[in-house]
Amino acid sequence: MKSFSYHQPKDIREASNLLGDNWQDALLNAGGTDLLGLIKHDIEKPDHLVNLKAVKDLDKVRYQEGKGLSIGALVKLNDLAAMDIVQNKYTVLAEALQETASPQLRNMGTIGGNLCQRPRCWYFRGDFDCLRKGGELCFAADGENKYHCISGGGPCFIVHPSDPAVALLALDASVTIAGKDREYTVPLHDFFVLPEDDVMRENILQPHEIVTRIHVPDLPSNTRSGYIKFKERDVWDFAVVSVAAVLRMGSERIEGGTMAFGGVAPKPWMEKTINDALNRMEVTDTNLDSLAQIAFTDALPLAQNGYKIPLVRNLIKRVIRTLNA
Amino acid sequence: MASDKIIKSRFFFEDEVEEKLAEVPTEEPDSWQADEKLAKVGKPYSRIDGYDKVSGTARYAFDMHLPNMAQAKTLRCPLAHARIKGIDTRKAEKLSGVLAVLTHRNTPEIKWYGTSFLFDTHLRYEGDEVACVIAETESIAEQAIKLINVDYEELDHVVDAKEAMQDSAPKLYDSGNIRNGEPGTYSRGEVEKGFAQADTVIEDTYRTQIAIHNPTEVHCSVVNWDGDRLTVWDSTQGIFRVRDGVANSLNIPLNSVRVIKKYMGGGFGSKLEAGKYTVMAALAAKQIGRPVRITLDRKEMNLAVGNRPDSVQTLKGGVKKDGTLTALFHHSYGAIGAHPSNAQCSWPLKSMYKCDNVKVEEYSVYINAGRARPFRAPGHVQGFFALESLLDDLAEKINMDPLEFRLKNYADKDQVYNIPYTSKVLREAYQKGADAIGWQNRSEKPGSGRGPVKRGIGMSSQIWWGGGGPPAYATLKLNRDGTLRVIAGTQDIGTGTYTFMAQVAAEALELPMEKVEVILGDTAVAPYCGASGGSTTAPSVSPAVRNAAENMKAKLISGAAAHLEVPESQLTYQKGMVNHKTNTDKSIAIDQLVREMGEQVMVSIGKRGANPEGYMINTFGAQFADVQVDTETGKIRVNKIVAAHDIGRVLNVKTLENQMHGGVIQGLSFALMEERVIDRYTGKVVTFNMHDYKMPTIMDMPDIEMFIVSGGDPKISSTGVKGVGEPAMIPTPAAIANAVYNAIGVRIKQLPMTPDKVLNALYR
Repeated sequence: MKSFSYHQPKDIREASNLLGDNWQDALLNAGGTDLLGLIKHDIEKPDHLVNLKAVKDLDKVRYQEGKGLSIGALVKLNDLAAMDIVQNKYTVLAEALQETASPQLRNMGTIGGNLCQRPRCWYFRGDFDCLRKGGELCFAADGENKYHCISGGGPCFIVHPSDPAVALLALDASVTIAGKDREYTVPLHDFFVLPEDDVMRENILQPHEIVTRIHVPDLPSNTRSGYIKFKERDVWDFAVVSVAAVLRMGSERIEGGTMAFGGVAPKPWMEKTINDALNRMEVTDTNLDSLAQIAFTDALPLAQNGYKIPLVRNLIKRVIRTLNA
Repeated sequence: MASDKIIKSRFFFEDEVEEKLAEVPTEEPDSWQADEKLAKVGKPYSRIDGYDKVSGTARYAFDMHLPNMAQAKTLRCPLAHARIKGIDTRKAEKLSGVLAVLTHRNTPEIKWYGTSFLFDTHLRYEGDEVACVIAETESIAEQAIKLINVDYEELDHVVDAKEAMQDSAPKLYDSGNIRNGEPGTYSRGEVEKGFAQADTVIEDTYRTQIAIHNPTEVHCSVVNWDGDRLTVWDSTQGIFRVRDGVANSLNIPLNSVRVIKKYMGGGFGSKLEAGKYTVMAALAAKQIGRPVRITLDRKEMNLAVGNRPDSVQTLKGGVKKDGTLTALFHHSYGAIGAHPSNAQCSWPLKSMYKCDNVKVEEYSVYINAGRARPFRAPGHVQGFFALESLLDDLAEKINMDPLEFRLKNYADKDQVYNIPYTSKVLREAYQKGADAIGWQNRSEKPGSGRGPVKRGIGMSSQIWWGGGGPPAYATLKLNRDGTLRVIAGTQDIGTGTYTFMAQVAAEALELPMEKVEVILGDTAVAPYCGASGGSTTAPSVSPAVRNAAENMKAKLISGAAAHLEVPESQLTYQKGMVNHKTNTDKSIAIDQLVREMGEQVMVSIGKRGANPEGYMINTFGAQFADVQVDTETGKIRVNKIVAAHDIGRVLNVKTLENQMHGGVIQGLSFALMEERVIDRYTGKVVTFNMHDYKMPTIMDMPDIEMFIVSGGDPKISSTGVKGVGEPAMIPTPAAIANAVYNAIGVRIKQLPMTPDKVLNALYR
């Protein structure tokens, strides 16, 4: 582990200034659950660590009818998951939060940190000079890739590790970003980047920028939503594949909705054809089979992860059946 | 008191016969009979060291902190295969707080693994030891390691056993990559004739993965020199093995090395030998004149301190319509890593069932990866997965119930040596297990369940040795207040040895448990016992304790007779008193007697008796699994495991249940999750942490129901105990695999049965 200096700014502007303009100068510490590991294993080698703990207001959640939910970036995953409004209205988010990591990690981990976490690819985390660390090669492409992506990959094949991000994408959330001279809000859809756009980063944040809030629009009363995370063990594991669904249910059919996917791509993933097909779809076995068949038709699995295609298709059917029950 | 003699003792330690000269008593007390009810032995006493452990006052080797102690860390080779061309340690040595840097250049050439050295310039795997840094703190040592500049000549590597067997493969040794240059072979009868007699023959190939022991407590030592004498606190399963290994490496007398191990956070076979790290720490401690503590981190644990070799097993079985096994053939190869070890896994096939024609051919293959070590039932866990899968398929082919098929081929005597067993209570285990799992409700048509989540039931048999044997000794000392101290050179590796030793002594001397104290794990004060492996600790050591207690009893009667001036024959021993059979005035409590005689007299020694000639000692068992398989996700959930075992006499049902649960969980974990994955292009391990090397959590646990069908095996020893550590794990993966087949009707022939494999099998 490289030595670093530690800062505890009182406001966002000061924090942003401390971050500086260069990559790797400084890192933010929110919950810190993954940060220490990254630093200890020399994956990140910052000169400065900027702790956001003392920055005011980042740990508050506000809900306003019609406007929706506004979540401070430092809100702990467990605190958010425990809120009535989240459990009742934004069920998909509550479920994704509860599926994240372990109770201990959820007590420390923050929503902002979770969205900005680094990937878990074993080459990235290991002693391999891979593309994402500035090296020449993606070792996963022809290597051990059973957990890697089936869509959106190349030249790097990570999957994005966040559960809440998948739920928030399905909920059409947006994030507010504060930098040294401006603050702006972008749809979550535009927040994450693919390796083909920037192989060393998972999102659009510039070195001096900080995610401050997450906004989730209000939902129509006929919304039903849910999250299914498939993992190899029953707790404390990242998604092999996960599916978030936010559906507006009519009396006989789905009026419309969105689905988002984790574990399949370098960013939380959405397929337009699936969302289009949900429009006025009647939930029947035949329709579900058709929906599954059009899902991930563009996927390009690697040597060891082709199983994710039947898996994600089965989960699409399962989540809709569950919400329709 | 009984006299003694020296014998050549042979018994199975792990999967190899260990031969040692041993002093054994010529007479022993009558063995506890199978149906004998005892007052303390067998009862569910809580661990006598339980409070120390849960309160945190128990000090493990990892917790040892001596005044002025320095910390050591190891630089390991980052490449799968390399040669050191040059090494520059100057920067590291200059770092403030660094006390010493050891490399091949400034240490004696100490032999290791037969043909290699403590620091070898030919590095054969990622994790091979390159240098050791000793510093004021661990953090400084870690920083200094990164400042060592090593010029590596990268060599071609091979990390797959099949590839390594090819002539064109990079060679780890001049003699080639196949250990001993040839397979291990075995045969009995005429296998071709046997197959010709069969109505049905099945041949199939089964694969198991490399698994890492990953005990909770990492490998670690604290060493301290006092003049020429070295004390080592080590996390080890064998204090005397560490003593011998360290003394040999340092070329110092055995009586200069004292090895201490009081508590341990798991070993599972990875801590049966002296570690390089201990010798490095000892060399450094001598050099800097300070105590040194050395620990491995989790990554080192996953690279460098052992694993279960993988296996590719091609099995062929022939069976008649009536269920008679006519022939069994086993061909296998497995990777043993970069240094000598053993990947053989045919013992289940050779020994479990009655079969006259058997042939075996098995290769242990060197690859550029960490060396294999014994791992909880070496060979058997792999072997049973293949054998029991084949057996279920054979049974299905001839339309026979799998359990009936196994009963049809029940072996009434040892199949390899053709001698009787001391005892075998397996039929009862089959019966108990089948009843408890609901075998009669098992679907006879695999995969016929409705809906996406399908349920199945399967089973596996189990055989292992676990009889132990001499030499094993215990010393008892009676104090003037009537309290008792038991001393033995075994070690409690977390299995409850402290507690059962106290129970055996308290039983024989009819004392309350509180009066017994147990000292283990110290080569300087305790008489010799073997390493704790092969499920041999309890069966080897418990008779020594009982025999010592009976000797003590005889001594007490003799002392009382002298003191009371009555013949010994008129005295009896009861509950801490020596009483006259008729005259109630003539009795004396043992504490008073000790005060009369002096503590120095009240020392007795007990020795493990010889195993009976002409018998095989085996443990047996059967486990039954109830699983459900989600055919949409490929996820296997184990609902329940029923474990029914013949392990001789139970010493403590509570610690037994702990061991049984631990074994079943480790078996489940091997069946469903654990796998060391190596990147084939770089030869580097990618599963080097507890996230990527998956082990189950509490949420993944099945219900576990245990039945012990044996009362005791009086032929073996004065306590009639067999071991349980390994038997508990052996049949679990095979039982789960057969249950999975029963659930989905597709056989998964490769472990671990992860969701991708299940989905690939279902959506082929």
